[in-house]
Amino acid sequence: MDWKELKQNFGDFVHGYFVSEYERKLREQFVDLNDLFMLQCFMELVGLPNPAAIYLLDVYPFFLEEFHTWHRRMGMDRSPIGSMPCC
Amino acid sequence: MAPSHGDGPFAHRQHALLLKRVLFFGGKGGVGKTTCASAVALAASREGKRVLLVSTDPAHSTSDIFGTPFEADEREIHPRLYGLEVDANLEARRYIDNAKAGIARMFSPAVAKEAGRQIELASSMPGVEEVALFDRIGDLIVDRFDAYDLLIFDTAPTGHTLRLLRMPELVSAWITALSKRRRALLALNQDIDQVRLAPEAINPDEDPILKTLDARREKLEQVRARLMQHNFTGFVLVVVPERLPIEETVRAAAILAESNVNVCEIVVNRVLPEDVDGGFYRSRRAQEQVYIDEIKRRFAMYPLAWVPQLPTDVHGLENLERVSAVLMGVPSS
Repeated sequence: MDWKELKQNFGDFVHGYFVSEYERKLREQFVDLNDLFMLQCFMELVGLPNPAAIYLLDVYPFFLEEFHTWHRRMGMDRSPIGSMPCC
Repeated sequence: MAPSHGDGPFAHRQHALLLKRVLFFGGKGGVGKTTCASAVALAASREGKRVLLVSTDPAHSTSDIFGTPFEADEREIHPRLYGLEVDANLEARRYIDNAKAGIARMFSPAVAKEAGRQIELASSMPGVEEVALFDRIGDLIVDRFDAYDLLIFDTAPTGHTLRLLRMPELVSAWITALSKRRRALLALNQDIDQVRLAPEAINPDEDPILKTLDARREKLEQVRARLMQHNFTGFVLVVVPERLPIEETVRAAAILAESNVNVCEIVVNRVLPEDVDGGFYRSRRAQEQVYIDEIKRRFAMYPLAWVPQLPTDVHGLENLERVSAVLMGVPSS
């Protein structure tokens, strides 16, 4: 391994380290934001009124996948509401 | 052929109400909203306008007055006067069936069946019917606006109606918040993509959720804008000279003003005629005078119309014509 290659590898390592750190932060933020979004879409779940509940029926089908990852992360093995029958 | 505007018998002084394009009639339960709404609808149709009278009252009182059923689809009740009854229950059904169809298109039958069962449950949630009702009213205001000269909505008792009118504000704010969050989410997702150099994020312009939410909001805003167009849309409050209806109407007028909805007239219904006799009626009239004075004082800024108590209930066209003539300021014959 020559000096140039070593330098390149070291550079990649440092780059990767910081970028992954950055990505982790972004992903964390994404998850938080997504949780908030989901909460606002499914407020009935926590017993709060949701003024747009009926309009959200429109978008329920698109949510199925995201909803699945969300309820798994929230520690619910199975879908807590039947109208989102992901599992 | 229907005569063009202004050819009618009262053309020389068309009533201010008939210059509007959308009228709502509201008031406490039992004060005669339906009678007044029907009377104005009749007057407008007599003037050659195409009128759609929409009943949102589950009590079917409009059908009673015209002696013919109002159905879910618009139907000519009288020359140029079309009627329909919005059944909130049915509208909620229709909406939910739509949502179910959407799910059925995207998922396997087993999933769709399961989802359908639960959506059924959601349909009995409080508020669903209200939203569905509002949705239908909004559709009519936006989509049927051009088909008629005047749309008249005979609404359910006050509290309910006021909530209904404020709903677009509330729901559209809610949806705006949701759509903003969604946008932020997608933007963040795109940032992550840039870091990973492996695109997996959804383009915000193609996100079906965002599209659906934005379409909804746009429609709500459209309805809201039309409700607040003072030259087109007016709210008529019906009151009777009694304490509680007056109080409720004062509140309603205040809330409507706050929501920037134009209250274009207050109809004082069931005023005892001057020629009643007997000690009992004299005493009632004296009592009533107190309330009439109060109405004049508290509603000084609105045009007032006075409709006398009729000797019989308003059933059928004959009595309706009398109310109609009084409301339009024509001395009854």
